Amino acid sequence: MEEKFIVNIIHRPEMVPEYSATVTGQGKEEDIGDEKLLTESLDIFKTQQRLAHENGLKTTIQMTYASLFNDEAVELAKHDHEVYGDEIALSLLGLPCEEFREKYHTKDFCIWMFSMEDKKAIVRDVFGKFYDRFGFWPESTGSYYMDADLINFIKAEYPTVKCAVATCWEEGPKAYHTCNNSWYTLFDGGPWAPWIPSKQNTHAPAANEAEDSGIVAIPHLSRDLIACYDGNGSNFGTHPQNVLRGMIYDSKTWEFPYLYNLIDQYRALAKYNNGYAYNMMFVGPGWMNKMGRWEAPYELLYKSYSEGCKYYGDLKKAGKLCDMTMSEFADYYREKKGYTEPECALWRDILYGSDKQLFWYCDPFMRACVNMDQGGAIVDLRPYAAKLEWPVGIGTKHVQDASYPFLIQEKYRAGYFTHYAGEGTVRSAKLSYKGEEVDLCLTPTKAHFSQEGNTRILTLDPVTIEFRNLTVKLQTREYFEEGSSSIKIERTILEMSDPTAEVTLNEYMVACYGTTEYPEDMTCITLKADEKEIRYEYKCREEAVAGAGEVSAVIPAIETRVSMTQTGGAEGYIKEGYAFSPMFTLGYRKQIKDKEVFATWLNLQKAN
Amino acid sequence: MAQLTKGKLNYRCPSCFMRDLDIDMFYNKETGIYSCIRCQYRGTEEDVLAKNEMVRFRYGAMHKRFTKFDFDED
Repeated sequence: MEEKFIVNIIHRPEMVPEYSATVTGQGKEEDIGDEKLLTESLDIFKTQQRLAHENGLKTTIQMTYASLFNDEAVELAKHDHEVYGDEIALSLLGLPCEEFREKYHTKDFCIWMFSMEDKKAIVRDVFGKFYDRFGFWPESTGSYYMDADLINFIKAEYPTVKCAVATCWEEGPKAYHTCNNSWYTLFDGGPWAPWIPSKQNTHAPAANEAEDSGIVAIPHLSRDLIACYDGNGSNFGTHPQNVLRGMIYDSKTWEFPYLYNLIDQYRALAKYNNGYAYNMMFVGPGWMNKMGRWEAPYELLYKSYSEGCKYYGDLKKAGKLCDMTMSEFADYYREKKGYTEPECALWRDILYGSDKQLFWYCDPFMRACVNMDQGGAIVDLRPYAAKLEWPVGIGTKHVQDASYPFLIQEKYRAGYFTHYAGEGTVRSAKLSYKGEEVDLCLTPTKAHFSQEGNTRILTLDPVTIEFRNLTVKLQTREYFEEGSSSIKIERTILEMSDPTAEVTLNEYMVACYGTTEYPEDMTCITLKADEKEIRYEYKCREEAVAGAGEVSAVIPAIETRVSMTQTGGAEGYIKEGYAFSPMFTLGYRKQIKDKEVFATWLNLQKAN
Repeated sequence: MAQLTKGKLNYRCPSCFMRDLDIDMFYNKETGIYSCIRCQYRGTEEDVLAKNEMVRFRYGAMHKRFTKFDFDED
């Protein structure tokens, strides 16, 4: 299969870069019209453009509102479009400037947080100004996040738009905390690679033409799928200065092989996505400030960006990379990918030296993360099947919180449980024998990817479970059938030290719902095992049904129904949580023998 | 004592960095000490740089160049 690795290099002439006023301007009164600041910002943009072009790369120039008032910025964009084939696009970042402040009387600068009325007014203003300066409508736009109502409005008013930067992967509570609880980019739960957003919710990909918002979305940066999930997202992306922010460089030699490992691992994802892989680099000018950024002097900032461009440029020269503008990429993506084709990433640790491995899966019905270090447990699950309508911004119930809710999130809700009392969210299994119990979360392994027809399969290396008087060798396979909205997990007993023994296999899912670390009201939830029902009241109740066809939970707050089904012969059970453990559990228990195979399905649906 | 300012570079608190917090430190030009506004860390530039080396302990593969990203047999 021919492989194609695509990169989008994006620059924005931000006349008042984020951070400049508060960081480099510390000790001075705010002056966003400061001539020195404007000149320096434009100089940084010119430097970024030069470094890309010197390495034979074309860019997408995302004009900011402020830059549309600057003749030099406009002329630079026209020149680079003519000479280098750069796309002139329009960003909804970089709104702050004197003209914006005078008109809108606010210091808000994140488009998704404005009221819908203001979003419309600002979009019309910014797009109109762009048309006045360039004489055409843009084909690409973006921000750190673009909510569905905003995308739908832009597409309806400006149908030329076909591509947008629409989320930062896992930039949620972790990023907020990193900034001492002051950076309100709360939008966990989206795709890490390009997708077609649905009209209902930006994070959730469209399942068909009716749901298609009409644009191709790209993430803001290509991020490390282990490091960003665990830590501050802004340290581990294809943004060379993010790598410096994470101090992931040799302080003596200023070498940073991690950036190239990150790019190369993204290249390697072509193996799981029918030959296609993607990267984007989008560095705001505030990160190349002449005064340095945190402990990195300007010379190091410059070096990192220069060498980042060179690496992409060298890949291009070697025929291993195709640089595209955003609108070119949108056309390519529409041609390449169908609605239900998933994005898959079998990702290894390239930073900490742990050899941990995760598998990320994203399609219009779910985003799931499988952790091989925990025996193939599902440690994050977002039920896109619900296509949850979740308006954000002033005047809505979610002014800042744009995250897609989870059912399982191991970092925010404990995961495999090791603490004093309670449970954590995870989809795993336990084996028990004569009073001993072992959770597969404690059986680290590795996975291998394959595809049969429309089903992506993870085959895990067998693991050994040692009881006092019995050893069991077990293998897990996980199946992701395109368009099914289900994950099938199959366990095979390969070997038992006593072939006549029987062990109990307990396939379980502990879940809840939310977008942050903090618990939500669980009383809306109804649990069912066939006809037996528990309405959630924190009473720690449990019901079981022999041979249950289905165990399920309906969570009206996120319009989601989640269920487990089985191949047969197992007892289905449901468990309510309690105040100190606001979770619920669905599961199946089965006696299982040597060479036996047992499978369960985790199914997601919209609950109306 | 005059007010604290930013130093020649804008050092973050190494102690807070280790708990995933980016907190600017401020500099006392009379004592040459950087101090964190959130936690109790304080130290000279030399100490900050030494602690910055320490925070890298978690990056066990920071110097390694990877050429293989799966665990499949070739």
